[in-house]
Amino acid sequence: MTMVEGRYFYPHAARFAAARASLPERRTLRIDSPDETLFGEFPLRHVRVSDRLGRIPRRFYLPDGAMFETEDNDGADDLLRGTGKGSNLADRLERSWLLILFSLLVSAAAAYGFVEYGIPAMAAWLAYRTPPRVTAVLSQQTLQTLDRYILKPTKLKAQQQAHALAVFAKVTHYDGRVPSHYRLLFRDAPGLGPNAFALPDGEIVVTDGLFPYIKSDTELEGVLAHEASHVDRRHGLQSVYQASLVPAAITLITGDVSQIGQMATILPGILLQSAYVRRFEQQADDDAAETLKANGEDPAALAQLLDRIDEKLCRKKGGCGPSWLGSHPATADRIHRLMEERVKK
Amino acid sequence: MESGGSGPLPERHNFEFRGSGVEFFRIWILNLALTLATLGVYSAWAKVRTRRYLYGSTSVAGHAFDYSPSPWRILIGRIIALSFFIAYSLTGNFWPQSIPGWYLAFGLGLPWLINSSLRFNARNTSYRNLRFDFVGRYIGALVAYVIWPIVGWTTFGIMLPFARKARDYFYVNHHRYGGRAFETSFSTLSIYLVYLGGIGIFIGLMAAAGAAIIYLLERFKNFEHAPWLPLMAVAVYLPALTIASTFIRTLSFNLSINGTVFDGKHRLASRVSPWIMSWIVITNLILTLATLGLFYPFGRVRLTRYQATRLALIAVSDLDEYTSELGRARSAVGEEIASFFDFGFGL
Repeated sequence: MTMVEGRYFYPHAARFAAARASLPERRTLRIDSPDETLFGEFPLRHVRVSDRLGRIPRRFYLPDGAMFETEDNDGADDLLRGTGKGSNLADRLERSWLLILFSLLVSAAAAYGFVEYGIPAMAAWLAYRTPPRVTAVLSQQTLQTLDRYILKPTKLKAQQQAHALAVFAKVTHYDGRVPSHYRLLFRDAPGLGPNAFALPDGEIVVTDGLFPYIKSDTELEGVLAHEASHVDRRHGLQSVYQASLVPAAITLITGDVSQIGQMATILPGILLQSAYVRRFEQQADDDAAETLKANGEDPAALAQLLDRIDEKLCRKKGGCGPSWLGSHPATADRIHRLMEERVKK
Repeated sequence: MESGGSGPLPERHNFEFRGSGVEFFRIWILNLALTLATLGVYSAWAKVRTRRYLYGSTSVAGHAFDYSPSPWRILIGRIIALSFFIAYSLTGNFWPQSIPGWYLAFGLGLPWLINSSLRFNARNTSYRNLRFDFVGRYIGALVAYVIWPIVGWTTFGIMLPFARKARDYFYVNHHRYGGRAFETSFSTLSIYLVYLGGIGIFIGLMAAAGAAIIYLLERFKNFEHAPWLPLMAVAVYLPALTIASTFIRTLSFNLSINGTVFDGKHRLASRVSPWIMSWIVITNLILTLATLGLFYPFGRVRLTRYQATRLALIAVSDLDEYTSELGRARSAVGEEIASFFDFGFGL
């Protein structure tokens, strides 16, 4: 008969004595001392046995508040074999190296899938279900804040504005777009340089600083088509959702809310977020190239504009930093991609 | 050395830690795989196995600790917490005006949350067949965790050491074991010195780094020529902040542990070095990032081992006398009602 050595703790007490556990009958657990003084006999179905976990002590919680504890995990498994107690799946999995390796692959694949497809899909799902009223409130508040702190009224002449609006009409009358959904706004923003951005409810803001760089209507059309694509695909809303989902997902996966755990999530969080945004930029570039081609124009125009801005702002000053940190893909990559669009058909 | 010629001789028992990195790695990776495979539901079971392993590997005076909560309770707690977090993130993003309301609700709910969480953890932690308990009340937690920190920060940090002291007193003095109280005390001067030391370390490191950055700026003329300079500032700021906060954390932990008396006679002792802790924390972080997370379980074991083995119990008796007061003082029904809201929020 299997006998497991350990310690018996008296009911609801810290006091203990050396003891042994055995199963003289299949359904009754007997705890006695090495000199066979009986501590108690308990129906096995009322005894809770802790799961095996590494080499930590195994505990038998006895119904009267007493407890039997043993470090002999194998002995405890032998004792309980066939009783339906004390065996758990997680432990058996943990002790198999093959399954550990498998877990490693599953985790890596799941983490990759979640980051690559899960978060973007969830963000897109939410973005397309956000009520237009919410989108409008969000956009108006953003614009008000920007107008108060960063943007100034435009200094462009009325004639220049009218011309830009005419180019804009070509973009908004493109296939499948409802022209009244989009609005072109002009703002002066010395701090932002040559820039354009879109708000989720269809407002597209172009800075005065962009115009000196523009050499043709097609170039302006490329920029506006790029921003209109951000509106169509709800990239702005998706970014907001992604920013909420990324930290929650990392904390959920690591299960660590400690300070150190939080710090470890900052850097991957930033990198992930900027990777998602770069993806949106690439998509908007592709859409812009499509729009230009459909209007019978050369998609390389946008590439030429990007190159001109890059030349002035980055190359002459010695580089703009690596692309994996920025929100936009490296300009060289964008130009290359746009030039390829031109070759296709 | 007999004290007063009457009392029994205190005996020092160092804490021991028997966990191994490889063993914990297996537990961790399986937890992770199952958590991902169940879309996060298994995380509650994962948390229990993780804690049970770390507690069960820690022992003092020949007995290991035990952690045995119901994972279902933790799961419910996590679902509630996650729903609140999502609601907060979304409304906060779309209606920034709602954020003050959230903070107010959070501030008022926090004491309840903290008490529930500490009580849940304490009641599910046992040593030698006896459970710990936590008996903090709402007002006490409100003062220690909400009002004192507000006072601390609104006085530009001058009162922060008081806030820390209030929090540690609240935490330690409301813990029970076998119905007997823990009680800590340490001087205000000592906690002030700890904070001044931490701030001094931070200022010193940042000043040294600032001088280096100014020198490099001179050489490169401006940021556009050296776009990595702001990055470097972050690279210095994070370790400086880590070392300074670890310094404050470990030394104030030492203070409150070394001041702790259990049941009016047994003492606790802690000798955690802030330098070794900082070294462990920073190298763990670097190795975890460099191995895409695979080092995490090894780092956690390394950190727990160091912290545990610097602790000691100085006992004047063998603790045989302690019994559970819970079973007698309250009815089982009252106990169930009281613990109904004790979810494991994982604070």
